[in-house]
Amino acid sequence: MSKIEKNLREVKKLNELQMRDGILNGLHPVVKLVTTILYILALVSFPKYQVVPCFVMCIYLILLFNLGDLSIWDGIRRMKLILPLVCVVGIFNPFFDHTEITRVGIVITGGMVSMITLMLKGIYAVLASYILIATTSIEDICYALRWFHMPKILVTVILLIDRYFYILGEEAGRIMAAYKLRAPKQNGIHYKAWGPLVGQWLLRSMDRAEVVYESMSLRGFRGEFTYAGRKSFRWVDIAYLVFWCAVFYLLRYTAVLEMLGQMFI
Amino acid sequence: MKTETLKECINIEHLGFSYDTEEPVLRDVNLYAVKGESIGLIGANGIGKSTLLKLLVGLDLNYSGKLEIVTHPMVKENVNHIREHIGYVFQDSDSQLFMTTVEEDVAFGPLNYGLDKEEVEKRVKYALSKVHLLELRKKQIYKMSGGEKKLASIATILAMHPDIILMDEPSVALDPKNRRVLINILNEMPQMKLIASHDLDFIMDTCERTVLMDDGTIIFDGPTEKIMHDREMLERHGLELPLRFQR
Amino acid sequence: MHMADALIVPAVAGTMYAASTIAAGYSIKKIKEEDDLKKVPVMGVMGAFIFATQMLNFTIPGTGSSGHLCGGMLASALLGPYAGFLTMIGVLLVQGLLFADGGLLALGCNVWNMAFYGCFVGALLIWRPMMKKGTSRGKIALASVLGSVLTLQMGAFSVTLETLISGITELPFSVFVATMQPIHLAIGFVEGLITAAVLIFVNEARPEMLWGVGTEAKEGKLSRGWTLGVIAVIAAFFGGVVSHFASAYPDGLEWSMEKIAGTAELEASGSAYDAAANIQNTTSLLPDYAFQSGNGGTSFSGIVGALVVVVLVVGISVLIRGFKKKTSTVKA
Repeated sequence: MSKIEKNLREVKKLNELQMRDGILNGLHPVVKLVTTILYILALVSFPKYQVVPCFVMCIYLILLFNLGDLSIWDGIRRMKLILPLVCVVGIFNPFFDHTEITRVGIVITGGMVSMITLMLKGIYAVLASYILIATTSIEDICYALRWFHMPKILVTVILLIDRYFYILGEEAGRIMAAYKLRAPKQNGIHYKAWGPLVGQWLLRSMDRAEVVYESMSLRGFRGEFTYAGRKSFRWVDIAYLVFWCAVFYLLRYTAVLEMLGQMFI
Repeated sequence: MKTETLKECINIEHLGFSYDTEEPVLRDVNLYAVKGESIGLIGANGIGKSTLLKLLVGLDLNYSGKLEIVTHPMVKENVNHIREHIGYVFQDSDSQLFMTTVEEDVAFGPLNYGLDKEEVEKRVKYALSKVHLLELRKKQIYKMSGGEKKLASIATILAMHPDIILMDEPSVALDPKNRRVLINILNEMPQMKLIASHDLDFIMDTCERTVLMDDGTIIFDGPTEKIMHDREMLERHGLELPLRFQR
Repeated sequence: MHMADALIVPAVAGTMYAASTIAAGYSIKKIKEEDDLKKVPVMGVMGAFIFATQMLNFTIPGTGSSGHLCGGMLASALLGPYAGFLTMIGVLLVQGLLFADGGLLALGCNVWNMAFYGCFVGALLIWRPMMKKGTSRGKIALASVLGSVLTLQMGAFSVTLETLISGITELPFSVFVATMQPIHLAIGFVEGLITAAVLIFVNEARPEMLWGVGTEAKEGKLSRGWTLGVIAVIAAFFGGVVSHFASAYPDGLEWSMEKIAGTAELEASGSAYDAAANIQNTTSLLPDYAFQSGNGGTSFSGIVGALVVVVLVVGISVLIRGFKKKTSTVKA
């Protein structure tokens, strides 16, 4: 399967997940977006040696992956694009930071701890975004962005990108397939074809944009989309937000774990 | 104002048009059409059919001659008003349907014309039921088949309650079943229709009147039955007999 | 070169969001002034196009590997800096959401690192000045390569700075820079060549589609002022940050903790740091050194507490799964 097909399948799959009737899918998009951002904020703000409470932030992921019936592997697979940079940045910490944290047979250094913290942050942040996008469509996210007064023109452009990405993606797949059939030994587009191949496609896409514009203006488009009002907040939405805010606060700013632990020791 | 007594839909006299300084694309086109008519617009490639359609919805205003839609002259001040009366179904449904779901796309026009929520909902329901897509209203456009997309495009136009519907090659890329569905739907629609197509069989099934264009002007304007049997006239203008008459 | 959420602290993320928001606000104002309704659908479709072209593989002559198109320079040469910038924001947002390429928190950084440099610097400082007297193959090629290389270098440098200021890595500044810049030099060069090929084609097929060709007279002084402004802002940004960094770097770790991290982190890490430095009683396993700070958790009781919470949540999740299965089988 080509890279393009893989990407398109991934989007299709996300789309199917978004369309399901789950508890998470039904939550107000503003609440989901805010919770996700607060989670990531709390997560990345953990000091680098605080590996334990940072690790415990996984409870959000565990609960929501289960509530949302999502596959953890699909989430982890999405690490592939961002992981290399995170690894490069983190992998050297043990070599540079020899601060002694504790000894468990061997000396655990600050570098080791901060590397693990960084990896956890990287993985958790991607998984948290996955939960958001697997339960919330781009439209709903745009609705949330509108709610936060993001300018209409930007929201409109995002919606159009979302709509036409799929069409152009499929076109890219066909172009690539047709190319490969006539150039079987190449793993990419030959440099002589860079200009004409992409250029023609670009011109076709511009023509399409022209028709899209005509179609819009024939239906009264005056520069901005008009959006129908939607969704009001329910108690569940508020409760969801408050609950997670409390959890993030407790983990990040209090010694709740120690207090719990002492009850058991 | 739309009233029942209003009969005139399209009134074109001596219409001419050219892009920039090039050879004129249209010259001396005359066409008069009234409510309820269904007109086929045929002709070989590149003789100005699409240009004519675009002029009729005011996508280009640099024409010469007379062009009136529902008695309103096509001038800049009238364009928005005229577009409430006339809808255009593009050949490429994917370019026409730019929203994410069917219902949003159908609601786009009514919302832009400032209608209230209930009225928009009423129109969405009306338009989708006319093309038998009501149960697919939440469906995402990229998941729809070519036939469904064509019907959805028509619904986006119907939601504007137009008097006139223009169509550019509506039957292209439809399978036989969807084609039959489309023909039935078109024949149920009371609006005045102008259908540009190479598909003469499709025109025969949907239009009682046909206009043949060549070289930027109208060569024939009369009953569909008559022109479709006139092999000589069709061939002279780069067309062939409808498939059903060929053997 | 997408920035990840994990590599930045909230203060850096916020700063970059603010910077990107200002640039976006300015762009929106500019677009509204232009009052060209057609821009919106063109931006949408171009965004999707750039997104889709990123998935094509381009064979790099003489090597076995392939390159890709990122699109900032391409977008601004076709749409101009403002529409190009907004389009790239859309692309980056959708990319981040759909493919986890870049994160929600890092979006501000990514917009700045890729879209801002690519569109504003690329279009206003390189493309337009070079095209003001008309186009030629050579000029387009040079502008594309120069623009891609330069803006990508700036982007890569910003990634380095943002990460280092966030105090995430112990990697010395010099090492980090020496890793990031050369990699992106090669990437930028290839991207520049692909962009050049496409733009040359467009110039031959439909030259009117290219932005900013021979238009210098139109905006005149205003654009020059704006251009200078951009240079000033960038210079101030780099100058300030770099000099600050250079002067403060000797005590790297402490510097990043004190200057950048919020007070809450400062307290915690400060004490952890002290405690760790003082630790000599290696006889005890997992000493409670961080407990007194009130939010440590890297203590024995903290670890026990953590285990309790995680086990509890896993338990609840198993129950949820079980319950769901039951209801679904009942339904079936």
